[in-house]
Amino acid sequence: MVQISLPQNSEVKKGRYFKDKTGSKNLRKVNIYRWDPSTGDNPRIDTYEVDMDNCPSKVLDILNKIKNEIDPTLAYRRSCAHGVCGSCAMNMGGKNGLACTKPHSEIDGDIDIYPLPHLKVKKDLIGDLDGLYKQYKSIEPWLKTNAKSEKSEIIQSKEDREKLDGAYECIMCACCSTSCPSYWWNGDKYLGPAVLLQAYRWIIDSRDEERQARLKKVADELKLYRCHTILNCTSACPKGLNPAKAIAEIKKMLATANI
Amino acid sequence: MENKSPLSPHIQIYRWHISSLVSISHRITGIINIIVITFICLVISSLVLGEGFFELVNLFFKSFLGKFFIIGITWSFTFQVLSEIRHLIMDLGYGFEIKTTNITGLIVIIGSLVLTVVFYLIGKNIL
Repeated sequence: MVQISLPQNSEVKKGRYFKDKTGSKNLRKVNIYRWDPSTGDNPRIDTYEVDMDNCPSKVLDILNKIKNEIDPTLAYRRSCAHGVCGSCAMNMGGKNGLACTKPHSEIDGDIDIYPLPHLKVKKDLIGDLDGLYKQYKSIEPWLKTNAKSEKSEIIQSKEDREKLDGAYECIMCACCSTSCPSYWWNGDKYLGPAVLLQAYRWIIDSRDEERQARLKKVADELKLYRCHTILNCTSACPKGLNPAKAIAEIKKMLATANI
Repeated sequence: MENKSPLSPHIQIYRWHISSLVSISHRITGIINIIVITFICLVISSLVLGEGFFELVNLFFKSFLGKFFIIGITWSFTFQVLSEIRHLIMDLGYGFEIKTTNITGLIVIIGSLVLTVVFYLIGKNIL
């Protein structure tokens, strides 16, 4: 259901203000969403003054700097810091992305950092992605083949391999799914761009033999057709992939195929 | 524990893009158009009731509110038509690159405004 306003326990309050102690002249205000599960308080926005003279270029560097030098209680996910693992997906300057690949110079004014939108928050910038992982499992993201021998390789032509480009690179960071208004309102049923891109990746894999069954499975008013080409997903993807186009291709296949 | 977790902010904080703006406007103008078409049908049917009703309708369309209404629905219809063409092209699988959607989105927005002015001028016998 469309729910424009936040529930009462999710309304964001003004939080603490951390004044700069380094005496630097090159300061930037960073507003960060905080929520502590150990108290019954509402989420709040804490503001930090960060010395930009001694801070590397990415948003993740700001977060590390705050955690190391200003406020060690800040919680966020991060791992590789090279845009490969997808852990540090969050909402920065009103747009989803990976904190480790997003330069803070691209954000004008104060830097607002929120968790990925419309998720149950576990702590601070950490959202609960269980629902998305369950949906990912539901499309059975593995190769299904009736090949009798497992000893010989399944040959794939160069052209067939090329079809997977733009789909296999997905790191499942959930930037796209959590940017999608349709997924916000119908996230329990609609699969969302990330999972549908993966569904597409297995549908077009020439080595997979369950193409028809896979197509049949996603051909559902709620699972697939809640995509209204809003295209927030494509503009959010930190890997430059195009989930919206993949969904359109699935729709096209369903419109032209006999199943 | 599960129920205590707050929901992270969504539409309140997410920046608008041209594509999302055109998409939501497409839906809103769609709803407006359905209501307006029903209204126009009622107005036309009311003409069988005689000259009095014709005068009434005429009076409304000549008032400031009536003119606002006509210009408003002209925009709403032209926007819907241009946006629908954009959607049809997308259904064929084209125009999904961010650059292209921004351009087509702008064409829809600016085109609908230009067409509204053109239709207004045609209606005024100026063009």
